[in-house]
Amino acid sequence: MELLVTLRKKTLLDKIAPIVDGVIIGRLFTSAYDYSLQEIKEIAEYCHENYLKCYIAMDNFISEDDLETLDAYLSFIRELDVSGIYFHDLGVMERAIPYGLLSRLIYDGKTVLCNTLDTAFILSQGIQSAVISRELTLSEVRHIVHNNSGKVDMQIFGHLRMSYSRRKFLTNYFNEIGKEYDYLNKDTLKLVEEKRDYALPIMEDDQGTMIYTDYIFEMFRELCELKDDLRAGIVDTLFIEDESLIVQICRDLARLTPENKEFIRNNLIYNHPDNYSTGYLYQKTNISKDE
Amino acid sequence: MNKIELLAPAKDLAKAKIAIRYGADAVYVGGKLFSLRSRASNFDLADLKEISAFAKQYNAKVFVTVNIVFHDSDYYGIKEYLKFLEKIGIDAIIVSSPALIQIAKREAPGLECHVSTQLSSLNSDAVWALRRFGADRIVLGREASMDQIEEIARKVSVPLEVFIHGGMCSNYSGRCVLSNRMTLRDANRGGCAHSCRWKYRLYDGKEMISDPKCLLSMSSKDLRASAYVERMIRCGIASLKIEGRMKSEYYIGQVVKTYRKMIDEIYEKGSLSPERLAYYDEELSKAENRPADDGFLSGECDSSKHLYGVNGAGVTHDYVAYVRGFDVVKNMAEIEVKNVFAWGDEIEVFGPDIDNERFKVQLMFDEGWNEVKIANRPTQILHVRMPFAVSEGDMFRKVRRNDD
Repeated sequence: MELLVTLRKKTLLDKIAPIVDGVIIGRLFTSAYDYSLQEIKEIAEYCHENYLKCYIAMDNFISEDDLETLDAYLSFIRELDVSGIYFHDLGVMERAIPYGLLSRLIYDGKTVLCNTLDTAFILSQGIQSAVISRELTLSEVRHIVHNNSGKVDMQIFGHLRMSYSRRKFLTNYFNEIGKEYDYLNKDTLKLVEEKRDYALPIMEDDQGTMIYTDYIFEMFRELCELKDDLRAGIVDTLFIEDESLIVQICRDLARLTPENKEFIRNNLIYNHPDNYSTGYLYQKTNISKDE
Repeated sequence: MNKIELLAPAKDLAKAKIAIRYGADAVYVGGKLFSLRSRASNFDLADLKEISAFAKQYNAKVFVTVNIVFHDSDYYGIKEYLKFLEKIGIDAIIVSSPALIQIAKREAPGLECHVSTQLSSLNSDAVWALRRFGADRIVLGREASMDQIEEIARKVSVPLEVFIHGGMCSNYSGRCVLSNRMTLRDANRGGCAHSCRWKYRLYDGKEMISDPKCLLSMSSKDLRASAYVERMIRCGIASLKIEGRMKSEYYIGQVVKTYRKMIDEIYEKGSLSPERLAYYDEELSKAENRPADDGFLSGECDSSKHLYGVNGAGVTHDYVAYVRGFDVVKNMAEIEVKNVFAWGDEIEVFGPDIDNERFKVQLMFDEGWNEVKIANRPTQILHVRMPFAVSEGDMFRKVRRNDD
């Protein structure tokens, strides 16, 4: 399993380069990363020089108006010779074919890739890998991963994306209440529902608004049995400010074994107390209204 | 050129029949299994068989939603289900799983596969990709503008379906699992709790920055695309879709009839005058229980397209009775009471073959032929003296007085 980290800040690169297998970067046009094309080029070059894999995230939807910009971006990416491109919009797959990038693509449907058959089908299109959804139980994860061995990626740490809208919820809200506030691309904002106390990170950028889980997903205890079948495990660092924690997590995941998994997990919880959760690994969510 | 299809939702057999009687070219319904909107009554196998046969009498089509985001265990029984749908003459299934398209093409090739808006197809390349997967029709995402829809339609030869009316997810369809976290109900498997319509406090760090008198809500106004129907016809959209598998028979009847008349008028006259569009908008407003606008069709959704200070849908009380039959000798309508109305109230009758005819309630009897002055028991059967003929399936709505 490749250990990949979403690189939200360039300052992290030197610290994690010796530990992880690769980094994921991107630009605002198609992702929640805020790098310029020049910065992307520099990071990709750094990765080549330091035996680190570089992946590009394109995890937003593409409108018809943006197809030309997408062309230019794909052309730029082709020259970088990156290890892979995470894509969310099926149109990217179609568009990438003439650029010879199909085999580099990794489908990340976020919430919609929940079964073995769909995973196998999307892989049969000639792409490199697919990221399974975060709303799966461990038993479901096992089934999909074992049946598509070596071709499945999975988020293994970090806040989970719960919603994605083209609507600019923060801009519209501040307009509605007539308040000026510096909120764009800010990662310190949280929503708390009237009757529940979950504090849900919310972020708005040019592409819309995304809301994440209040908890940080972790699967230290479960990862060992899946590592051999996963192509890549992704650490998403969004909303995690503490760089030392990110480095520690990467170290822990890189040296994770069945023997030390409990120690590593307990150590993390003790030294960096936070709201950790195994998400849906042990929690089905198909409860109906009547149950 | 094929006439554009008017596609209506129905949560049960009765409402599906109303949609077809009121002018829908096709209805989409959910089975008890494999379908989003688990709170809709939904159709069992016998209902599906009945609506398929009923639709054929009207030359209408029936599409069945099989659009949950499948987990492995959800596929159990799917092949048999698809074969059954094909056998009873269902025209198409609405799917969000690409693998399911492959299964359907293999097991039940008589079924068309329409890709659900759950996949948020927003560009021509995404449409082509889905076509390559075997899709026969693509439902576009509701985030596309009218200009973008025209551009996509110009570039692809795949039949496209576009939402024109009803509730809107505030997030990209299929990409919202707020409900999973908030209520343990899977939004993508029929359990959406509409958490987007709840109210939220906004914090920056530990400081609350939201207005306590107006909390943040993601709730969107409903969609009303009446002003765009003409352009959609001209750019070759295959189907205009009304949202609302949870909606009432009144909503279905009123909205379907209005769009039916509007589409027919556009085909007949070539275009719609501003006055006629205003008339149709007024008709649509009679069924709406939430403010509506044109969503993303005119571009980005600013704050005017959101609902703040409103938790959910209001309830319309205008709809007061459903006509079960008409006695031509006594000039009496047999009705089922839906909401309160009384002697002296002005009632507007509409139906598949009757346009907003009004009368004043003057004589009503219960089933024992005792005279009643007020109809205030829902589901009660009454007989009402009519100054004109009505038919089964017509509906009564109360004309609001200025002081209502």
